[in-house]
Amino acid sequence: MRLPIPALAMAAALICLPAHAQTSWDMFDGGKLLATGGVSQVEGAGGGGLANWALITGYGTRDGIGGNVHYTAVPLPDYSLQSAGVAVGLLDRLELSYAWQEFDTKDVGTALGLGRGFTFHQNIFGAKLKLIGDAVYDQDSWLPQISVGLQHKENDRAAVIAAVGGKNSVGTDYYIAASKLFLAQSLLVNLTLRETKANQFGILGFGGDKHNDYSTQFEGSAAYLVSRRFAVGAELRTKPSNLGVAHEGAAWDLFAAYFFNKNLSLTAAYADMGNLVIKNDQQGAYLSLQAGL
Amino acid sequence: MKLLALSAPLLVLFALAAHAEDALFADMGGQAGIDRIVDASVDNYLADDRIKTIFDESNIDRLRAEFKVQFCQIAGGPCQYKGHDMTMAHKGLHLTNADFNAVVEDLQDAMDKAGLPFATQNRFLARLAPMQHQVVSR
Amino acid sequence: MKKLIPFLLLLVPVAAIAQDARTIIQKGRRFSVPEIAIRRGESLTFTNNDEFIHQIYVQDLFDTEERMPGQNITEAFPRAGTFDVRCHIHPKMKLVVRVN
Repeated sequence: MRLPIPALAMAAALICLPAHAQTSWDMFDGGKLLATGGVSQVEGAGGGGLANWALITGYGTRDGIGGNVHYTAVPLPDYSLQSAGVAVGLLDRLELSYAWQEFDTKDVGTALGLGRGFTFHQNIFGAKLKLIGDAVYDQDSWLPQISVGLQHKENDRAAVIAAVGGKNSVGTDYYIAASKLFLAQSLLVNLTLRETKANQFGILGFGGDKHNDYSTQFEGSAAYLVSRRFAVGAELRTKPSNLGVAHEGAAWDLFAAYFFNKNLSLTAAYADMGNLVIKNDQQGAYLSLQAGL
Repeated sequence: MKLLALSAPLLVLFALAAHAEDALFADMGGQAGIDRIVDASVDNYLADDRIKTIFDESNIDRLRAEFKVQFCQIAGGPCQYKGHDMTMAHKGLHLTNADFNAVVEDLQDAMDKAGLPFATQNRFLARLAPMQHQVVSR
Repeated sequence: MKKLIPFLLLLVPVAAIAQDARTIIQKGRRFSVPEIAIRRGESLTFTNNDEFIHQIYVQDLFDTEERMPGQNITEAFPRAGTFDVRCHIHPKMKLVVRVN
């Protein structure tokens, strides 16, 4: 059994935290401005829908903590993708996340000889550290908020992954993200570089018969703040093409995020996930609910 | 190609923004508009359980008058704020980011009440935001 | 001369007390004492040992510039009477000066 190092680190951080902060519930100071924690991206990190952002999740300021749970559903023409997870933001400096992903191949499962409704599952452990800058306060500077992070993914279908040419059922993405709020323009912009071997976010494992090295991929988001509660935007995320059996392209989405209050947000998007497991044109709805503090 | 489609609207927004910056004072309703916003926001601070005790020792009338001159100047109006250095004025209060953000939210409520469009509010807040570096000391 | 020295030595503690009575410390957004009695023509030195900017005023007598932490200001009380020394920035600060 693999030691869940990221989960242990999360627990350790939470235990050590009270030594710094005051009483237990005061730590959830809810002091960040609405929407400035982003939402939950599809692998559980704080960000947009597809992209990881440099923002630390939750409404805890640098003096406290914040956290949330999320549920995301992406019904596509031939598949369905679901994810659920939990994330905490500590001192607006460290973010720890866990997401569970389920990818249901539905009828394609039959076509692949796996059986109808064959599902892949991933456990994704994430950690993100803010290095420098503040996306919200640094309005007098060109410096963005910059964070680095990793997402460690474990897929439960090692045999199938091997059968399609995947080299590993476990993999880790490493990324650096830069986010900046151009407040005078009501515009939030994010650029992320990701080192990854993941095939289709890890659904088909990591590395492949065509290419088995890390490659640098790009994620970009732009969000326009329509009101305190409502933002619209677009994202683009490139992916490597490691497998001979499944040509992969970039995924993109157009999204609208509504923040009811600091406890609840709903994101709806039209997403194009590109080719997924031998099927092209996987475009559909993306719906995500985040609840937290 | 997709990157180009993403960046074109961004470029248009930046071009529009450059023109908008000179008009902020007028867009906020001039001195009368700013006075209304200051009075409403100070009323909000004094009613806000999160931050009202910060003002226990303050001369509220003097604060209102100072904000009106300061906001006028920040918005690009014909005022000269001759008040204290922001760092020195706030040092003893040991303010946190949570305090600062609560003030921002109360100010947003006041600007909503004054009917300012969100985009205009953000143009003003963008000029206030860097004060966090001086105002927050804890 | 020998008879004068003990008398002169007596003046030292009196002078020291008189020196303390003429300095008021501003700290914690309060004056170090709530009231003080001085003689007509005497001065008070207000020293800002606080984390805040202060100024002082007495109606119809003086209204000073702001003083940063570490700075001080001295004001004289030429008339007899009871005077409230206040701060425009911190209205809860009050020092009652009784001048005889």
